[in-house]
Amino acid sequence: MNNSIIQILLIVLAPVLGGLIYGIERKVKARMQRRIGPPVLQPFYDFLKLMDKRKMMVHSTHAFLGILHFVSLWFALAVLIMGGDFILIIFLHLLATALLILAGFSTRSIFSHLGANRSAISVLAYEPVLVIIAVSAYMLTGSFNVSEIYASTTPVILKMPLAFVALLAILPIKLKKSPFDISEAHQEVVGGVELEYSGIFYEAVYTSKWLDYMFCYLLVFMFAGNNWLLGLGLVALTFIYINALDNSTARVNYKQMLRFSFWVALPMAFLNLLMTMFHLL
Amino acid sequence: MIALIESLFLIPITVSALLLILPKTAARFLTILATLVLSAIAVYLFTQATSRPIQFAVSPIVNQIVMIADFLLLLFVIGAGVKQKNILVWVLAIVQLVVLGYLTTKKTETQSTQFYVDKLSIFMFILVNVISGVIAVYSLQYIDEEKCSVFRKKYFLNTIFWFIAAMNLLAAADNMEYFYLFFELTTLASYLFIRFRKDDESKKNALTALWMNQIGGLAILGAIAYTIFTAQYGNPSFSDLIAKGNTVAIILPFAFLCIAGLVKGAQYPFNKWLIGAMVAPTPVSALLHSSTMVKIAPYIILRISPVIKGTPVATVVICLTAFVFVAAAIGALAQDTFKKILAHSTIALLALMILMAAVGTPVAVTAALILILFHGLSKCLLFLNAGVLEHVFHMKETSDMSKMGEVGPYTVLVVAIGFMSLLLPPFGAFVGKWFSIETIGSVASGFKIVGALVLVCIATGGAVLSLLYFKVLGAMISRTGESDKVKFEHVHPIYGSTLNFLLFALLICTIALPWLLPYYFTQVAADATGLTLIPVVMEGTNICIGSIHLPLIPLLIALLLLPLGIIVGMFVRFKNVDRVKEYMCGEKIEYNFSSFYFSTDKASAYFVAIGILFFVSILLVAFFM
Repeated sequence: MNNSIIQILLIVLAPVLGGLIYGIERKVKARMQRRIGPPVLQPFYDFLKLMDKRKMMVHSTHAFLGILHFVSLWFALAVLIMGGDFILIIFLHLLATALLILAGFSTRSIFSHLGANRSAISVLAYEPVLVIIAVSAYMLTGSFNVSEIYASTTPVILKMPLAFVALLAILPIKLKKSPFDISEAHQEVVGGVELEYSGIFYEAVYTSKWLDYMFCYLLVFMFAGNNWLLGLGLVALTFIYINALDNSTARVNYKQMLRFSFWVALPMAFLNLLMTMFHLL
Repeated sequence: MIALIESLFLIPITVSALLLILPKTAARFLTILATLVLSAIAVYLFTQATSRPIQFAVSPIVNQIVMIADFLLLLFVIGAGVKQKNILVWVLAIVQLVVLGYLTTKKTETQSTQFYVDKLSIFMFILVNVISGVIAVYSLQYIDEEKCSVFRKKYFLNTIFWFIAAMNLLAAADNMEYFYLFFELTTLASYLFIRFRKDDESKKNALTALWMNQIGGLAILGAIAYTIFTAQYGNPSFSDLIAKGNTVAIILPFAFLCIAGLVKGAQYPFNKWLIGAMVAPTPVSALLHSSTMVKIAPYIILRISPVIKGTPVATVVICLTAFVFVAAAIGALAQDTFKKILAHSTIALLALMILMAAVGTPVAVTAALILILFHGLSKCLLFLNAGVLEHVFHMKETSDMSKMGEVGPYTVLVVAIGFMSLLLPPFGAFVGKWFSIETIGSVASGFKIVGALVLVCIATGGAVLSLLYFKVLGAMISRTGESDKVKFEHVHPIYGSTLNFLLFALLICTIALPWLLPYYFTQVAADATGLTLIPVVMEGTNICIGSIHLPLIPLLIALLLLPLGIIVGMFVRFKNVDRVKEYMCGEKIEYNFSSFYFSTDKASAYFVAIGILFFVSILLVAFFM
């Protein structure tokens, strides 16, 4: 009972929590660069400011797909929080990404197209790894339901450490962080898909990034099993790792990203699958 | 019952003969009527089917006819090969002729029944008759727009219907000599179809299709020979082979049948014939890809899966198809022609179906059946659309389609839903893929490292396919703000009605999936595997089938988001919002950006070599087991 209240609260507050993570991230990143950085609530100030802007759009389908992207991402996150089927969650997330990619392609803007194309390539880079992690988790718990992973008494990370490393390898792709931020790369494609959104319609795309933070860090949290203190520790460490990486690396191109994913992250996930299959740990 | 089944054979043959002589209006009327009748019979047969298969014999004179037809057909192939100087065609045909002649002298007449109709056959009937019927109706208009003589137009429709008859016969055949004839008939039909346009490329590709499928025919003859000469089998019929297969444990005939299926299914290295088939008029591609020809491959494997399940032969087939799933998906990324992209993705998805059929557990077979049905619907929809793109909009290459979003929003919408339905929740093909991943996950530990590799292949191939679909779709959906108000273009009523029917069928089947699972797919799977029916039970809002839980609420919400969301997205208009030109970061120069291409020229030679290795190892493994 207690659990389900927490779950529902988490689902409802997901965008707010994600916004907070984003705020903290900007602060932490600034401190790493010896800047003071914006206030933690800056994302929300930005949010309010954007509400106030003149309403503009390229065409209605484009704007609507952005909103649909937000809704479907929130929904995928809700299924993850409720402990649904892992494979289904991965594909629901793909559905959300698909809508954003379609939105990117639906305008006649070169940067939007480039961004959408690069998003599609990013999907290719991280999705196989996630599916393999999901199957490994199945071999461990005997169920594809994420709730089983939440409930496991021994932290999953001890049983499949390589899967966690593989996840760390693909998280920058999923979160669009350097060195794998090719899909929004400001200096190259000016934000990619986001570029053609403005004002209130940009809000949807902007806040769905916050949801993506929640999604990714929940995947990390999951690796702690039912030990939520360890989970928060993992999330904090991952958070610092992602930001340090983001600050210290230069962007690679998409081919290098794919190569990294197929020759480093995927074999790692595969090794992990073999290890769980033969119960080596 | 038997009369109804026989009518499925006789009606299409009669119709195909009539279409040659009837005038145009009458032919149109007859085609539509025949489609309705055949579909109704197929569906009715399923409602009447019991768990006991229907076996029946035909009069002995038919045996003679079949034998003569076999020889005539081979002579025709030899003629075609010699006339067009293709050595492979006529050599393979002569080898078959010799083997067949030798076998006819050796065989003993002990067989009583030639046809065997169980639920799997009826499943194929429904697939073949409904979807091919829709394609026949569609091609009424399509072939009318084609530049050729009136007779050739009639001849085209005529071929479609006897092709349907051959498929129905094939799905019902028990006697393997009969099966061989029908198998060769479908080969012949595809040969005639591919060379329909009679230009150099068509003729060349038709011959390729012919010789490659001859290898399939030869493999069936090999299976017959081994059955006759293995004392324990004796009788070359499927029901006999499957009944005795597990005790006799001589697996070679099944290995031959696997090869026949894999050749028809255009798995590497035999992928060329299906890609080459693109030169034919588009309804042919739709027919070959969605409901007939290539679906013979999963059908054969499903038929023999009770015996090959768990044997080394099945393991090799699983490895081959897992490899093809990735290789064909990567191959598709290098293509620009819309139909070729579809062809490669067909090969990839066929590989997944065959893989699931070879795994052979009830849930895996259910997954294969779901994939067969929904892939048939989606691919048919996409190919018929490719026909519209070609004939109405005169576009073949995806890189030319950048204006499609403005001139043909309806076509784009249909293509979008077609692609999404192969990939994303809540559509049936997604459910099939989901079942596949979870089933492989649950049986993988039995296959050790092979299981893990297969999983990696499925995960990667699936991701490559999703990249592919976005790439293609992205090339055609863009439009400027000036055409904010979407007005559907006018398409010919025959095109419109067939496309709408398929869209509607796709949506209805997806919504009806909770009912189709217990009353359709698992029933067929139980019959095909010869095992007990896997129970489908409701647990709260989950449908449980075997160990897989299908949560309904997420799928329902996904249904609201995806097909409906995209349709609403086409029509929604925001009021009181200023429309602006694209910002493009202030860029003034117009850039054109199409897509990323991945060259696979270097890799494809290796793909073919690996494919050949797998085919050889199927035989070796079966021989030395």
